[in-house]
Amino acid sequence: MDLIGNLAHGFAVAFSLQNLLFALIGALIGTAIGVLPGIGPVATISLLLPITFGQPATTAIIMLAGIYYGAQYGGSTTAILLNLPGEISSVVTTLEGYKMARNGRAGAALATSALGSFFAGTVATVVVAASGPLLTSIALSFGPADYFSLMLLGLIISAVLAQGSVLKSVAMVVLGVALGLVGTDVQTGQQRFTFGIPELSDGIGFVSVAMGMFGIAEIILNLERPEAREVLKTEVGSLFLTKEEWKRATPSVLRGTLVGSVLGILPGGGASLASFGAYMMERKISKGRHLFGQGAIEGVAGPEAANNAAAQTSFIPLLTLGIPANAVMALMVGALIIQGIQPGPRMVEAQPDLFWGLIASMWIGNVMLLVINLPMIGMWVKLLQVPYKFLYPSILVFCCIGVYSLNNNVFDVYMTVLFAIFGYMCNKLKMEPAPLLIGFVLGPMMEEHLRRAMLLSRGDVMVFLQRPISASMLAIGAIALLAMMLPNLRKGKEAALSG
Amino acid sequence: MKINAKDVASGVFLILLAAVGLWLNADHALGTARRMGPGYMPMLVFWIQLGLGALVLVLGLFNGPDPLERWTGIDAGMLVVSVAVGTVVWQIAPMFGEFFTGTYNAIGLGMLAGFLVICVSKGWRLLGFICAAMCIFGLLLEKGGLMLALTATIIISAMAEPQHRRQPLGVLGLLVFLLALCWWIFIKQLDIRVAVWPMQY
Repeated sequence: MDLIGNLAHGFAVAFSLQNLLFALIGALIGTAIGVLPGIGPVATISLLLPITFGQPATTAIIMLAGIYYGAQYGGSTTAILLNLPGEISSVVTTLEGYKMARNGRAGAALATSALGSFFAGTVATVVVAASGPLLTSIALSFGPADYFSLMLLGLIISAVLAQGSVLKSVAMVVLGVALGLVGTDVQTGQQRFTFGIPELSDGIGFVSVAMGMFGIAEIILNLERPEAREVLKTEVGSLFLTKEEWKRATPSVLRGTLVGSVLGILPGGGASLASFGAYMMERKISKGRHLFGQGAIEGVAGPEAANNAAAQTSFIPLLTLGIPANAVMALMVGALIIQGIQPGPRMVEAQPDLFWGLIASMWIGNVMLLVINLPMIGMWVKLLQVPYKFLYPSILVFCCIGVYSLNNNVFDVYMTVLFAIFGYMCNKLKMEPAPLLIGFVLGPMMEEHLRRAMLLSRGDVMVFLQRPISASMLAIGAIALLAMMLPNLRKGKEAALSG
Repeated sequence: MKINAKDVASGVFLILLAAVGLWLNADHALGTARRMGPGYMPMLVFWIQLGLGALVLVLGLFNGPDPLERWTGIDAGMLVVSVAVGTVVWQIAPMFGEFFTGTYNAIGLGMLAGFLVICVSKGWRLLGFICAAMCIFGLLLEKGGLMLALTATIIISAMAEPQHRRQPLGVLGLLVFLLALCWWIFIKQLDIRVAVWPMQY
């Protein structure tokens, strides 16, 4: 009963005119950047962070969340019509979706993906609502040592699951933690690594790091690659599924929702991992597996349901433990902290409007997205015809204004330039920027918990192994790291991540 | 030996950064494990980073080949020249007027000069123009106002794309559109605190 009462409260919050409007704006922006290849949710959310300062926290988070799951809807459109992934999470959709479009079933593929996403989004909303308070009550018994180990586990898993070499990803996490050290030491007030620059005493600006490494560096890299975009000549066709397609897609959607919900909660997981996982599963066990490669609807339904489910359930660790599972969630932490809200288990009690309002808005957002994506598909196809040469100056201009208006200080603009160069270099050296961002956000929190834990244990490191929660987190982390040393598993991951 | 140049370079970068970090950290009190000082966590982090960097470097000697992208002689030369030009401009900028003293404008001008110089080499051109476009935004915004800063940013960033250089009319259209859009979003709707037009003296 409590759940229903809480959800009712959430819907009351989400149905306020302002929150509805910003959920719609988030969903529209999300779809747009999802459709457009070369600009992803991480860059967009970091770009829009400064704009959200003026709004109440709930409204801001509702809009930013809408961008993330909206991008999952939009990404599939480009994948199906152009054989180009609009987002990383829709890479696998290109495999079967584009084949379906070639067979004249583009409309059916788009409808499957939108309806599957909607179903998955609805289920995921319930999962978040039900598991949130449950996990929160567990989290309240966490001590500093447990928190430290949990964050360490999150960092390890995000490094293990990142693309490319695990060793380099771990190094990037550590580098991120190191960057997070810059600023005033919380306990003694001493300035660390600030070089006497007053702007650095609060630490390196989070938006500068995210926008430089993901926004600006991406522009330069996209410009280096010649544009290969060609809009499908064939018609989208009927959006209605045949009876047989319904029958084949339904079980895949169910399986995809399950896989996505689970992989979304995992630290280091998220939409892209979920769609890969669901695709692998469909290819192995679905009834239509012999049709894979010729436009199997299962290969669209499963991954598309999974990525949307995961985009929503990845909010669970953030809302209950205050720990970001992926780079987008790291941005959400940034947004909350800027609003003066410390993400963590006390959020459900202290910020019921935000917690339940966000959950309710997820479902509302999914309804909006269904309308935005199916009847209005023609509009998004038109958007695809805007060439990148006109897009990138626009993105750049928005970045400049956004980063300046953070503190009304040009220092942040120059800082962003430095991180753009750094992000460009990382890409050239095949160093993944996403683990760095998570390390950067978690680093300061980890230091605080480490110091508190060691103070409580009177300097005894064994406290991390004596507490059962902490010990099991560390054990899982160690297993995950060791597992990646095994050549078989590593190959499996490479295969999964490269499609 | 199959050298993975990307990994070797990453390793060297990580080690160098960790070494600098450890050196800077010498100023901070370490404290004890029980009562950690401000230097304790940095010490742990930079030593781990040093170790990981060394591991990446050593393994990179064997798990290649994965060469770096080709640098032409001009690319390498211009990198050195532009860093030199940027530093010199930064240092002498305060002589150009009051605008360049006491703020970040001097370093902004230095960066702008460096990025524009590096555009001479083909390999750096995209990076140079995009970064220069951002720097000129920082330089012009507060005195020149939003419209002037945006105009300069859009024109410089457009130079990164060869097609724009052949079709200046497209850039003009984009410029008008973006100026109107930014005015509507940031001034009309969000009302960010920034001058719109050049400041009057």
